[in-house]
Amino acid sequence: MSGEEEENAAELKIGEEFLKAKCLMNCEVSLILEHKFEQLQQTSDDPMNQVSQVFEKSLQYVKRFSRYKNPDAVRQVREILSRYQLAEFELCVLGNLCPETVEEAIAMVPSIKTKGRAHDDEAIEKMLNDLSLIKKFE
Amino acid sequence: MFLKVKLPWNVVIPAEKLDANGLMLHKSIVLRLLDDFACKKATKDLGYYLAVTTLVSIGEGKIRSNTGEVLFPVVFSGITFKIYRGEILEGIVHKVLKHGVFLKCGPIESIYLSSAKMPDYKYVQGENPVFLNDKHSKIEKNVSVRFIVIGTKWLEAEREFQALVSLEGDYLGPVS
Repeated sequence: MSGEEEENAAELKIGEEFLKAKCLMNCEVSLILEHKFEQLQQTSDDPMNQVSQVFEKSLQYVKRFSRYKNPDAVRQVREILSRYQLAEFELCVLGNLCPETVEEAIAMVPSIKTKGRAHDDEAIEKMLNDLSLIKKFE
Repeated sequence: MFLKVKLPWNVVIPAEKLDANGLMLHKSIVLRLLDDFACKKATKDLGYYLAVTTLVSIGEGKIRSNTGEVLFPVVFSGITFKIYRGEILEGIVHKVLKHGVFLKCGPIESIYLSSAKMPDYKYVQGENPVFLNDKHSKIEKNVSVRFIVIGTKWLEAEREFQALVSLEGDYLGPVS
């Protein structure tokens, strides 16, 4: 098994290049892949045959695991989470798993509570509230 | 985690596909890139290759003297999926065995959750075998499960990732 000494997403040790790379939430990937698939449907009779297995499996997955479906809601989720000085990776884990309580959020993304970061329980609570509001009005 | 990546790539166009009409050439390059991209499947560093989103630039073509093909260096953005140790993800159970279950998550199908890593769940035999705990949480085929990744492995020959996952931790287990 790899992931020997260094890599550990829970502590946000995922390699320099990925900390800078942009991560995408399931709901964002779902919008992009569905749009691509619709384009194919217009140009081909058998769109399922035109896509790779990786594409097909991923599309099924993100359709099932997207918490937000409406494009406006998806945009708002990213906008709201961006206000909280999160790493890209942390932002997407929160957007994907939608924790309901502060305790759950910290269990999902332990790195938000590490030393020297400004996330107290109140800030996290507010963030979760903002997220659940989007869900409610979607 | 899904990643948005920007990648350089060399697209090789055979001489007979070259056309004086610039538009056709552009189309050939795009089609070739999409084809190559789908065939690549995955790499160790970036994970599974899902889709090309935009073609950023096409560089100056270079002729290969031995074959007459033309090589175009291009840059594009695309989406990939990579699994990290320590990451918490949700997946779908697709096989229940006596000693554990197999899950799929995005393009990855070999994700193994050993019964040793879900100590409060007991295997229950039957036509549809399940894992059950005292609180009546049930892990069976087609159920979504939230887990933590404890190890990943890249198989160079198959161009695939495998992962070992666990339910030891708070807020992990089947999700409705």
